[in-house]
Amino acid sequence: MVDINWALIAPILIIEFILLLVAIVDLVKVKETNGPKWLWAIIIVLVSILGPVLYFIIGRRSR
Amino acid sequence: MALLTVENLTKKYGSKTVVDHISFDFGHHKCIALIGPNGAGKTTTLRTLAGLLKPTEGSIQFESQAKNQDLREWIGYLPQYPSFHSWMTGKEFLIYSGKLAKLSKVEANKRAAELLKEIGISEDAQNERISRYSGGMKQRLGIAQAIIHKPKLLILDEPVASLDPIGRREVLVLMEKLKQEMTILFSTHILNDAEEVSDELLLLNHGKLIESGSLIELRKKYQTTVIELQVEDEVQPYQEKIRALNGVSNTKVERDTLLITTTDMNQARENILSMATKENWKITTFSINKASLEDMFMRVVNN
Amino acid sequence: MQWMTLFQKELLENWRNKKWIWVPLVIILLSVMDPLTTYYLPQIIDSVGGMPEGAVFEIPEMEPAQVIMMSLSQLSSLGVLVVVLVLMGTIAGERKSGVSELVLVKPVSYMNYISAKWVSYLLLVWVSLFLGLLVSWYYINILFGTLTIGEFLTVFFFYGMWLTLVVSLTIFYNTVFKSAGLVAFFTILTIMVMSIITQIFQHVLDWSPNNLSSYILESLSSGEISSELFATAGVTLILSILLIFLSGLIFKRKEMAV
Repeated sequence: MVDINWALIAPILIIEFILLLVAIVDLVKVKETNGPKWLWAIIIVLVSILGPVLYFIIGRRSR
Repeated sequence: MALLTVENLTKKYGSKTVVDHISFDFGHHKCIALIGPNGAGKTTTLRTLAGLLKPTEGSIQFESQAKNQDLREWIGYLPQYPSFHSWMTGKEFLIYSGKLAKLSKVEANKRAAELLKEIGISEDAQNERISRYSGGMKQRLGIAQAIIHKPKLLILDEPVASLDPIGRREVLVLMEKLKQEMTILFSTHILNDAEEVSDELLLLNHGKLIESGSLIELRKKYQTTVIELQVEDEVQPYQEKIRALNGVSNTKVERDTLLITTTDMNQARENILSMATKENWKITTFSINKASLEDMFMRVVNN
Repeated sequence: MQWMTLFQKELLENWRNKKWIWVPLVIILLSVMDPLTTYYLPQIIDSVGGMPEGAVFEIPEMEPAQVIMMSLSQLSSLGVLVVVLVLMGTIAGERKSGVSELVLVKPVSYMNYISAKWVSYLLLVWVSLFLGLLVSWYYINILFGTLTIGEFLTVFFFYGMWLTLVVSLTIFYNTVFKSAGLVAFFTILTIMVMSIITQIFQHVLDWSPNNLSSYILESLSSGEISSELFATAGVTLILSILLIFLSGLIFKRKEMAV
């Protein structure tokens, strides 16, 4: 439709993906979260950028 | 000279006095139990001695402590509910504690390895995150971190309260062993534990030190004898009569038994028995027992 | 020695809880978001159905300096929020959970405890900022025109001062409150109040830390770093150090461990 230079956008998408991946791997490994785990899985996958960030800030039981 | 001398230690929160002018001292290689009911001020006293709280009044003086010297160097402390950096492994946490207590890296590693073996945390468990440890493992790790720098005084707050009988035994045995190397001050509300390992007792109630001394001394001082009376029918009706007798200080009904404490044993015995004969009580048991530490404790606390 | 132990613990903790991964990534995303959307704005408008009939929408030519300022404005809102949220529990959380009881019963110097945290978080924030601005700089050079390396470093260094103050302020409130939520709330509130005061007393408060961004823009357009920028950076740094010093004092006087 419009000419978007995907080579420019790609790094951003990759960063987003890494963020999602790190959050999911952490979620699987961690013993307990604040709130149900499955809910966090959905939030991380569906809400881009903000999902993983919210998980790290409030979902993760820090200590 | 005493290892630690505490004078008029007082801790107030606003108008509430939690610890009220307590003074005591103790020597090396002793095991001292701080006993008192819940809310007596035990934890506050221990935290103040450990340097976590500042006394409102009074002084805490270590033997050979220079002016303004940090007394935390000589103290090991385990709170009642210890919490750790649970993202660390047991081994990492011990090494970390050791280094914070000014051990060199090599020393800290060595001590950590020694202690992990001593408290029986397996090679595998050593390298696992503390978040996966059981309650008993955490308690033992807690003691290990408290003694990693070989303190002169080890302070334990209710060290066995949360443990099952096996864990409790393990910790008491460990304390017995540690007594050879340092002085232990621990709080408890379970008298049996105090009786088992301690040489000296400090009795605390409402923030006041109401009694202190060695176990033997206190036993002698508070030795009372208790008369146990059982009859064929209900023992209740006799309670008032007996309490009115000379030589009797108090009576208490426990199931089918009347417990009689006395001020003068001989007089009480005579009076009770003569009244019993006169009124023809159907006595089934009449026995005289030495009071337990528990009774002694109750007496001291209630006075 | 003891300081290094505390510092290493902070680094390890923030590695294990993944802060060293996600904070830089989020800062990068925040930094490049505005430059990219600005560049693609015409396409974006087209793709949602274009402009209504007759409406004219001129997209002004953007100077590279203006675009990097867009990155900074994004960092000043969401970026600062992220920094505050990341730091809000660093001491408050340890006090709440009770670990501080085990740590502070050891002969730990309170100043070491605070400053080790301060330096470790400054490192995290400065590295994140560097990466974020680096990627933003890269895009700006491709899409909008050249920004010199000197200009890039100016932006990085002086904006880093602002984030240093944010880190220090959050640590300070960590020593005041035991609840992480209150720490975050009061840090943000303080930053907002500072910005209002700076605006009201503009004529007196030349060197308020809140002016850093505008002085950075000035120096980009004029091509030289003004003495105001240096002075403001100095004030910001001194304020930060004072806050940390004050935190240490509070820690010493208050019974922080329990």
